[in-house]
Parts: sequence; C-alpha cells; structure tokens
Amino acid sequence: MTSVDTDSLRAAMRDAIRASDVRLSKYNPLPRILALDDFNEGTNGWTELIGNFNGRGDLDTVDAHMRDFRTPQLSNATFFDTGTHGAMTGTYSLKLATRPYPGHTATAIRRLTMAGRGLVQIEAYLTYKAEAQLGGDAERDQYGDVAWDGNLHPSEAQFGAFTVATDLCGDGGRRYHTVARFQNTDADGNLVRRLSYPVVPEPTPKEHLEGKFALPYAADFTAPDPNDWRYLGDPIEMCFNEVPTKVNWHYVRWLVDTEKRRNVEFQLNDRIIDMSDVPVPVYDEPYESLDNLLNFYFSVRTLSGVRNFLFLDSVVISADW
Amino acid sequence: MLQSQTAILERNTTLSGDFATEPFETGWTREARWFFQILSTEGDPQVELTTQVSPDGLTWVDLDDLRQVSGELTTWPVREYGHWLRIRGTMTGGSVKVRIYLALKS
Repeated sequence: MTSVDTDSLRAAMRDAIRASDVRLSKYNPLPRILALDDFNEGTNGWTELIGNFNGRGDLDTVDAHMRDFRTPQLSNATFFDTGTHGAMTGTYSLKLATRPYPGHTATAIRRLTMAGRGLVQIEAYLTYKAEAQLGGDAERDQYGDVAWDGNLHPSEAQFGAFTVATDLCGDGGRRYHTVARFQNTDADGNLVRRLSYPVVPEPTPKEHLEGKFALPYAADFTAPDPNDWRYLGDPIEMCFNEVPTKVNWHYVRWLVDTEKRRNVEFQLNDRIIDMSDVPVPVYDEPYESLDNLLNFYFSVRTLSGVRNFLFLDSVVISADW
Repeated sequence: MLQSQTAILERNTTLSGDFATEPFETGWTREARWFFQILSTEGDPQVELTTQVSPDGLTWVDLDDLRQVSGELTTWPVREYGHWLRIRGTMTGGSVKVRIYLALKS
C-alpha cells in the first residue's frame, strides 16, 4: 500500500491552483494569504501614516516631521507626452506622491495584527518616478550625476529613495521595525542604487514629548540621521527607462521572521539579498496597546525637491502560520 | 460596490497670499466635493477659492469662478473634471489655518 505525503500533496495542489489564477501567478506567497491588494478595486486599506495627536484632536500636537505624509492616490499614470500609461494589471495603481520639497516623504501604511508567529512576506509590483519637469533652460538637462544624452535623463537622479518597512510588536510588548530601503541617490543627486537599512529604531511621539528629540518638517522619519543607515549588497541596476514618463514594473519580495524577530531576505527583480545578519533594534521600553501589531508601510522620499512618486500595481501579504 | 476615498490635502496648514493645493488624481471618480475648514485666523483675511483642473498634473486652469469663503466650513461639489483636481486660492488681509478635505466617489 502506498502512503500519501499529505503535506506535499497539499502544497503541490496549492501551487497548482495559484499558478492558474492570473492575479496570483505572478506572486510567490507563503501558504496563508492575508491580503491581495489590487488597486483596481480601491485603496484596500493602504492609508496615510500620521503621528499621534492629543486627547483634543489637536493636530498641532502631531510631530512636525509626521504631519504631512500625503494621502495615497489611485492613479492611472497619465503623463503629458503619451497620456494614460495604466498599471501592470488594469488601469489603476496606488501612487504615493511627495511634495516638491527636499526631504519630503509620502507614505502608505497597511494595519494588521498577527494570528501567530513565523515567516511573513510582502510582495509587490512597483515602479518609481520623479515628476516630469516642463520648461526652464538648458540647466534642466543635468541633475547630479545624470545629463541628458538622448538616452539617460536627469529625472533619474531626481528620485531619492523608496522604502518598505514593518512596525511589529508582541511577546510582552517588544516593538521593533524591519526596514528595507532602495536608496537611488544621495542628497547631491549622485546615483547610489543600493539597498540600505537603519541601525536605530524609528523615533516615536512619546520620545518627542519626553524631550529626547524635536525633528523638523521633512526629516527622515524612519531614521533621521544619515549616519544611522548602512548599505547592504552591491549597487542594483534598475529599469528606470530613461525618461520620467515610461513605467516599467519591478517585482519586490521581502521576507521577515516574527518568531525570531529577524529579517530573512529581500528580492528586487533578479537580485536576492540575504538580510539575516541585518540588526533589528528593539525599543528599550515595552509597549502597551500594540499586542500582535503587524503594520507594513511603503514610503517615497525626494531629496531633489522634485515631486517623487512610488506606484504600486498590487501587493500581496502572506504568512506561514 | 462603488469606491470612495477622502483625501486630506492640507492639515493644520497656515495659508496666506496665493496658494494651490498639491495635485490629486481623480480619474476613477465621477463626483467630488471640497471641504475647506478654517481652524483659526490671523488678521481679517479675505479668502477666495476656485477648483482647478489639469490634463497632465502639471498645467492647470480654473474650472469655475472664484468663490468667497465665509464661516468655518465651506463646501462645493465638482463634476466633469478629468483626471486631476486641486484648489487655487488667494488671501488678503491676514492668514488662515485650514484643513482641506477632498471627498471622492466612483
């Protein structure tokens, strides 16, 4: 009598069913899918992040650097030269748009809780752009490292960074973030194009109230001191595709382990980067009111002062619990 | 099920002189409504506002006539506006601290 490996059979059937689903076949989710967010069907719970306010609803009490992260937009990606670009699937993607102000950040956050511990994965198809600039003089043909030569375009150097990160808490109030940032340029517009991560936890509103810091508008809320960031891996060649109006979708997959409170690995198209040795700083004080917190956010930050955009075609969040 | 979204385009922002809100994409919507909420004032500000539309998010044109703002909350609907909306405003005689909401429906 032949025995059946039911776990293998279950996994194989799951893979086969997902592979035949046109929405899922471009993803590699863990066994349990918590969210499949296609922005042809609204914002799917991705909303603007904001700092905390007092008991009277006075938004002046929100930290200046966390008061203006901008509402995410359902975008059809229309440009001045070719009209509507659309998304990877359907017409709409979710667009995060900064102000045209150096250092300004736009965010979208998804708020969940954990029903277990173990591997958690977020995947997305995304693209990033700086806003097209119209008019001006020949100086507009160069920015930072990049001069217009018929192929390369200064717009590429006007895009600062995009980030995917978590906010996690549990196990007796132990709160921590895992962070993966694609740093496209430095503050001078020189191309960096490397994965980076902070070695300190995100400043909190309570720390501000306690007088530990006071950050200005447009400070980097994830980790404000550039010296607290580290690069990981070699530079990554991306498909910016020359001008600010051509959109090519990139695959991102990021795996973290909430049992071990560690990063695992980050994938950007064909590049897989081991993140298991990346430190995950935990806040010193235990947190109340955050048990099983499972938040993900995307952010985009302009360093040039040109509006920067991050477009998300769709996002899948999955877990192995 | 139809879709809806409210965007907060300004949050406790102090405005004076000429101003415009950040572009907001509305291609998926059939109707929109502005809420312009004055939280506090300095001086005796005279505020005039209008909706602006754009073909590309870069170049803007007035959709309707300037309207005078009075009272804490001013609201007006917008229809047949294309893929972007913003508010253009002018202010004389002082400044106002505002929240600006854009309520959208498909």
